[in-house]
Amino acid sequence: MADRTDSVETAIDVRAITRVFRNVKAVDDVTLAIPRGEVFGLVGPDGAGKSTLIRMLATVLAPTSGDALVFGHSVLTDPHHVKPRIGYMSQAFSLYGDLTVQENLDFFAELRGVPHRDMASRSKRLLEFSGLTEFRTRQAQFLSGGMKQKLALAATLISEPDLLFLDEPTTGVDPVSRREFWRIISGLHRDGITVFVATPYMDEADRCDEIAFMTQGRIILRDTPSGMKGRVPGRVIEVAVNDYRAAMPVLRALPCVHSLEVSGDMLRVLVSKDADACESTLRDALTGAGFTVRHVTPSQTDLEMAFATLIPTAAKNSDTSDADILAVPE
Amino acid sequence: MRRILAIARKEFLHIIRDKRLLGVILVMPLIQLFLYAYALSFDVKQLPTATLDLDRTTASRQYVDALQQSNYFLVDGVLTSYAQVDNRFESGADKVVVVVGAGFGDDIAAGRAGNVQILVDGSDANAAQLGSSYAGALSRVFGAKVVISQIEQKGLNVSGAGGLTSSIRTWYNPEGISAAYFVPGLIVVLVTMITVLQTANTLVKEKEQGTYEQLIVSPISRIELMVGKIAPWALIGALDIIIIAVVGILAFGIPFRGSVGLFALSSLLYVICTLGLGLIVSARATSVDSANQLGSLIAFLPTFMLSGFVFPISSMPPVLQWLSYLFPARYFMVICRTVFLKGGSPAVLFPQIAALVVFAVVIVVLAASLYRERA
Repeated sequence: MADRTDSVETAIDVRAITRVFRNVKAVDDVTLAIPRGEVFGLVGPDGAGKSTLIRMLATVLAPTSGDALVFGHSVLTDPHHVKPRIGYMSQAFSLYGDLTVQENLDFFAELRGVPHRDMASRSKRLLEFSGLTEFRTRQAQFLSGGMKQKLALAATLISEPDLLFLDEPTTGVDPVSRREFWRIISGLHRDGITVFVATPYMDEADRCDEIAFMTQGRIILRDTPSGMKGRVPGRVIEVAVNDYRAAMPVLRALPCVHSLEVSGDMLRVLVSKDADACESTLRDALTGAGFTVRHVTPSQTDLEMAFATLIPTAAKNSDTSDADILAVPE
Repeated sequence: MRRILAIARKEFLHIIRDKRLLGVILVMPLIQLFLYAYALSFDVKQLPTATLDLDRTTASRQYVDALQQSNYFLVDGVLTSYAQVDNRFESGADKVVVVVGAGFGDDIAAGRAGNVQILVDGSDANAAQLGSSYAGALSRVFGAKVVISQIEQKGLNVSGAGGLTSSIRTWYNPEGISAAYFVPGLIVVLVTMITVLQTANTLVKEKEQGTYEQLIVSPISRIELMVGKIAPWALIGALDIIIIAVVGILAFGIPFRGSVGLFALSSLLYVICTLGLGLIVSARATSVDSANQLGSLIAFLPTFMLSGFVFPISSMPPVLQWLSYLFPARYFMVICRTVFLKGGSPAVLFPQIAALVVFAVVIVVLAASLYRERA
């Protein structure tokens, strides 16, 4: 269960926070503590309440009930002590399209009180590491999607916040830019900055120190990525077969198969613990049904599989018990 | 202070990067000034007029000559029968037909009232009203001259006789130039339109762009944000007032008789009122479209209809008169007209200036309290 102390070692201490829009509970009684210096990933389907939670923590949205302490200061009653220490990057592009790259950086530096003597050196450094130096005089609206996001991150970082809220920062960004973006986040992590990031991508969630899964306004799972994978009962076997769609019902019918998912043109099959015996059972069943099996190999559990397996149990649990929504049974 | 300057500079960049907006701010007022000043002109001169002289005597010709010599009528047709009158009006060739009745000369010679009919085309109400009153006045003058000459012919001295003379003089605008009446009013209308609509957009636009949330997470107070947003537009409002005033004075020959300082002070107060109104709209509107509609509703319509710009407030129904007190345009309208046409000392305009001060304070406080710090 979350640490409830107010020590400064806790970057964010969320206490039973709830936000209601009309009659819908977008965020439903979330309690959560995030230690300083951690990269914390929030995953979950669209409409789970991820953005609403982030916006409340970033003082943009008022909670309906509950509170959150950011470095010990309440977002509800003391936002003026919270704002100078945080940076927030919303899901949508949130800079001025008619201002140039440099003008945007200068504006946010002035607005957030960056000392004049530091402004030039900071913006130079941020432009360099985001690769935007040569686009300094270009209006932000004429940048590519990836460059826009990097500029938004640079504008957020110009005030050197201790805590960064990123709401799906790489949605709609090409894979190369996404990798660069995460290289920057890793650098921030090394500098001791706490990062709270919502992401729909499992490979990004995998890079976080800890992840929480949110659905219907609640956080129903929280663990490290490896802890999450370790909870999955059984092993994963990768199956490559000529017609994977037709092969799916055949595999599902086998008693040792727990579940399966499609990954590219292959199938990832979750089997009970006795993987070696299962491997040959799978191969035999497929060949027997007339499929051409290219290979059947043991593989690593990934987060997608972990969530697919763990969520149904966790969701059922959180419906019946409000007391400890983070506990997941073996 | 630094944050206010940052916001103000950013707003200026938005304005100078937006060519269409620049046009709206700097060129539109001039276009509207010329459009309104000409289209709303109530001056009637050289009314196209036809005459139908059924008498054909010296006296009747003298009367028609008198019409022709006045600057108000342009006699461009001489008719020979009543049947032609309809034709002149229908084709729009004339707005006025003056019919001198048969026996006009005999009546005058006999000392009786001469019979003159003035027919006007009522489909152009303004021209009709002015045409009939001008022609009526002209006839009375002509009649008086005839009477006097007849009396003198009879050897009587009229100079000693008592009589009543009414002389009407229009002060401040002696030639009755409509532009002199409209241009000061146009300043009020145009400045209101520009300032209210632009500030009504400003916060909503930030909301739609998503930049509003970035402002919220920044350590800036709502007063700082509002002042930063208002400052550039206050300057632009002032620039527009100067442009319209200078063009009005140079191109339309409008006088400026009052104190420049007094005018500047009341302009500043009024612009603060309208910018505050815009921010109130912007703080509450949910989209740029609704901001525009709400903005024109609360600013443009009252300014146009309830300020005395077109319709004199004193001739409105009492309910509308009371309503007009609730909009600052009414007071600034009085100040503008007074300062341009009459002069007006601070003491005379004190009630209006005091009203603007009250409005400015109330509106700005209201705008600040309506602006929400969270989404």
